[in-house]
Amino acid sequence: MQKYILVRLFNIVATLFVISTLTFFLMKQLPGSPFDEEKLAALPDEVRTQIYDQYGLNAPVWHQYVNYLGNLLKGDMGLSFYYQDRPVSNIIVDRIGPSALLGIQALIIGTAVGLILGLIAAFKHNSMWDYITMLIAVLGISIPNFVFAALLQYFVGLKWGVLPIAYWESYQSTILPTIALAIGVVAVVARFTRNEMLEVLGQDYIMTAKAKGLSSRNIIIHHAVRNAMIPVLTVLGPVVVSLITGSLVIEQVFSIPGIGSLFVESIKVNDYSMIMGVTLLFSVLFVFMVLIIDLLYGLIDPRIRLAGGKEG
Amino acid sequence: MKKGLVVSFLLIVCLVLSACNSFSSKDASSGSGTEGTSGGSKKSDDTLNLYFDNDIPDLNPIKTTDSISFSVLGNVMEGLYRLDENNKPVPAMAKSVKVSDDGLTYTFTLRDGIKWSNGEPVTAQDFVDGWLLGMNPQTSGSYRFILTDYIVNGEEYTNGKVKADKVGVEAPDDKTFIVHIKKPTPYFLGLTTFEKYYPVNKAFFEKNKDDFGQSPDKLLYNGPYVLTDFNPASGVTLKKNDQYWDKANVNIPNIDIKVIKEASTALNLYNGGQLDYVNLSSEDVNNYKDKPEFGTQTNFRSYYVQFNLGDSVLKNKSLRQALQLSYDPSTLEKVILNNGSKAASGLIPPGMEGVDGKSFRDLQGDVIKPDVAKAKDLWKEGIKELGKTPKLQLLVSDDTVEKDTATFLQSQWKKNLGIDVELVTKPYSGRLDTMRAGDYQMAISAWGADYNDPMTYMDLWVSPATPFRGSFSNKEYDQLIKDAKSQSDDTKRMNELLKTEQILLKDEAVLAPLYYQGQAYLQNPKVKGLVFHPWGNPWDYKYATMD
Repeated sequence: MQKYILVRLFNIVATLFVISTLTFFLMKQLPGSPFDEEKLAALPDEVRTQIYDQYGLNAPVWHQYVNYLGNLLKGDMGLSFYYQDRPVSNIIVDRIGPSALLGIQALIIGTAVGLILGLIAAFKHNSMWDYITMLIAVLGISIPNFVFAALLQYFVGLKWGVLPIAYWESYQSTILPTIALAIGVVAVVARFTRNEMLEVLGQDYIMTAKAKGLSSRNIIIHHAVRNAMIPVLTVLGPVVVSLITGSLVIEQVFSIPGIGSLFVESIKVNDYSMIMGVTLLFSVLFVFMVLIIDLLYGLIDPRIRLAGGKEG
Repeated sequence: MKKGLVVSFLLIVCLVLSACNSFSSKDASSGSGTEGTSGGSKKSDDTLNLYFDNDIPDLNPIKTTDSISFSVLGNVMEGLYRLDENNKPVPAMAKSVKVSDDGLTYTFTLRDGIKWSNGEPVTAQDFVDGWLLGMNPQTSGSYRFILTDYIVNGEEYTNGKVKADKVGVEAPDDKTFIVHIKKPTPYFLGLTTFEKYYPVNKAFFEKNKDDFGQSPDKLLYNGPYVLTDFNPASGVTLKKNDQYWDKANVNIPNIDIKVIKEASTALNLYNGGQLDYVNLSSEDVNNYKDKPEFGTQTNFRSYYVQFNLGDSVLKNKSLRQALQLSYDPSTLEKVILNNGSKAASGLIPPGMEGVDGKSFRDLQGDVIKPDVAKAKDLWKEGIKELGKTPKLQLLVSDDTVEKDTATFLQSQWKKNLGIDVELVTKPYSGRLDTMRAGDYQMAISAWGADYNDPMTYMDLWVSPATPFRGSFSNKEYDQLIKDAKSQSDDTKRMNELLKTEQILLKDEAVLAPLYYQGQAYLQNPKVKGLVFHPWGNPWDYKYATMD
């Protein structure tokens, strides 16, 4: 087990290295510079060079990259160009809170509701319940979440005045964005759970269990749900990523100072150090999420032995 | 394994707890008591609620380069002069100025009783220090040209050729500040209202060098308001400055400005009574334009088509003129933009200073008037001169309004000249790069004024020719600009500038005018005197009142 995790950790470091290298060189291919382009375009070349020099942007790209990596290893992510002279790490710490809270809430609520709906649909297969649940799932997948966000904001926030229209000022302000984010998760999880449950319920071992005379509650909990969970777990990886990217639009609609909007903004304004910082953060989140899910497989299904270890 | 689960669970709990602390400070302090009230924050009567449509990236006055930061700084700090409600410079930190006969030396006398928010007096030396920091390449940013272009030895100081004591700013005593400028500049007092011309308390700056302007306690204030809260991504709160010399004329005690990037969110908040002002996007204009709270304003920013004279096709003047005359900007204004922008018949925006109290636009009138019949003739003529029917491309930034404008031009040229123009769309900085490389035929471009004088535009097209400005070079044009820069007679100077616009647009057809940027908005009828300056530090809350 320890050895497995060590190998995985080594892979993670290698992956992150590749991602950061690619991002750095691709980013440098973007046209423009991090400065007020319109004004800069009007300045003579010497002045522009002078300003680039001030920030070390005239050095060869590989040289800039070596510098960046060196600083990164020392834990220094550099200063933002756009939010002039603020350390990238400070900005990320400031902004990650709202996004993390929204993401985690949406993940927990979305998964729970999705599971329940999916199970209902599977057990009441081809009934009214099944159709309603799947209609919800199809709508949830096909309608973009910013549409839900806008509707929630207009009706719940403005017309009924029940919850805040926008801003990040109290716990209430997290509710609408969480719902808007969670809808997509509900849809994905519900559909997957239903399909997997239907498949598992048709398996021989379920029949065997029934023949043994086990109570249907016992069968569902110990045999059906547990087996159906494995593929559902697999989709949670991509779901977490979609929560990160989805939060970008939701954050914008509800004016939440989160990290999703930071990512888009930094690319728009060529804020090199910020693009690197946020990309690395998202990559770290993603690779660790994959690792955690792999470890969870072993927990749910003891047959999946990660490295033949003795613990389980 | 179990241990791992417990650890990750604890991690999640920590994250959630830390996230709960991320709510804006205003509510965090009153959190426990007021929880449970619905509909979020209720606005109080002494607070003006406003918003910006983007982040507030940088409140370091020496370095910052964006108009949102300029707006904030313009309300918490102040220069020698300040723009009044009608955009005219009036004495502020200075109580008077004496200008030498040759127009090259300005002697400002500072007002009595002017103080920083920490109680220290604002002195002439603070202006010397502020301006020098603004020209120092170590401390300043890409906007330093607005100082170095005017102050004697400014550029030399930036390039390290002279020491600070040779720069044309001096403070013989606490109340006297003397500036030597390179050339007579009729708009110089206007420049002193801009935030790059603000004083800086050097002792305070040196102490907070690394995070100057990054939080409310890392900046000193000498304007109508002080900053009480600042988060680049969520907004600022301002409180009336009780040390301000003119505090008797500042009416609103508190201003809360949020960052709202989504136009529909801002409109919902306005309709819910949580904002006192909202910008309208063009699709909302028709729903609201008959309401009493509807209004429009324009700023000094002109959009135009830049022709590239270095191109083998568009070096032909008849073709450029044909393209220029064959569409009607007023259709663009009414049908496509519909957002408060005004159709352009020239380059210089309306309201920009001319001479003797008249605006440049009033003096000049329309330079370009659409004339389809003439355009058709010119097009035929041009094709005859060229010897073939050319292929044309229009370069445009990847931005909704610009793309709509480009599509409008495309359809008009098709209809009136019978030609197919291909649109080339690039990201904003990609368009600038392409233009700099000269790899375009024509492009939709724009320029926002740095100061209230036509020179801020006309100076862009002087020799040497650059591809970015269409590789245009004209001896008569250059001479007129040169004369205007050393001219001390304001009327003669303005006549020279009027002539340059004629050359650039009418005689040489280097540009085709599109529109002067504007904004449609709704404003709470109880709020009066909310001033938007078309250049410099845009928003001014000093004159605002609330019933």
